Amino acid sequence: MKRAMIGLALAAAAVVVGAAPAHADVDTDFANELHTYGIYGQKDYNAWIAKLTCKRLDKGLDTDANKSAQFIHMQLVKDSTTDQAWQFLGATLRNYCPDKMSILEQAAR
Amino acid sequence: MLRKASIAVAALSCAAVVFPGVASADATDDYPIPNRMLKTTCTVDQYMAAVRDTDPVYYERYMTDYKNRPVDVQNGARDRIYWFFSLNYAGRRQYSEDTATNVYYEFMATRWGNWAKLFFNNKGVVAHGTDVCMNYPVSDPAVWTW
Repeated sequence: MKRAMIGLALAAAAVVVGAAPAHADVDTDFANELHTYGIYGQKDYNAWIAKLTCKRLDKGLDTDANKSAQFIHMQLVKDSTTDQAWQFLGATLRNYCPDKMSILEQAAR
Repeated sequence: MLRKASIAVAALSCAAVVFPGVASADATDDYPIPNRMLKTTCTVDQYMAAVRDTDPVYYERYMTDYKNRPVDVQNGARDRIYWFFSLNYAGRRQYSEDTATNVYYEFMATRWGNWAKLFFNNKGVVAHGTDVCMNYPVSDPAVWTW
């Protein structure tokens, strides 16, 4: 189960490679990607949560991908799935703090 | 007959003006400070760490505001909220009354209007935070250095 989640997050992270080159701004790209996972809500709010996820990793408050996914899950609307939380995390890492991508690979081990 | 009744009604409404019930400026058990904040037994640090998880954007905004204040204002706000948390329910309820009836009662507010926003201003935030704050460390100075 956990493997599958991490797979989703990694898949979300891989979307980049095949993504179209048009870039409005990061927040818009991020919101568009979230829509493909069925995650809606305010664009600014989701961007805040993504940036705060990075900040928490930076500060060492969240020490691994599981903790980040838990944090994200708490902020999404109530009926969001664990899958969506991990997809949100993958998109967050790629768009806002690519230097933290390694936590996904660590979680997969 | 009708005229008499009208006069009686008018007289009654005058009485209502002369003897009003509760002055509208008085505090209630939920205003201006939310009830859950009056009753929580968590520490400041526990509550802040909880809100950092439950309402992270609200917390972030408060901390940004806090960091933009001069050091003496930061220290004053910190000391004041620890003082508030040191009060029991009756003390907090009295404080709520004092701030509701006298805008000059809280001296911190003259230096920083939103000094206690994270703690007093939003019922939802307070409810989320006080629901889980007991699960966090009693002392955690890092909540102020976010």
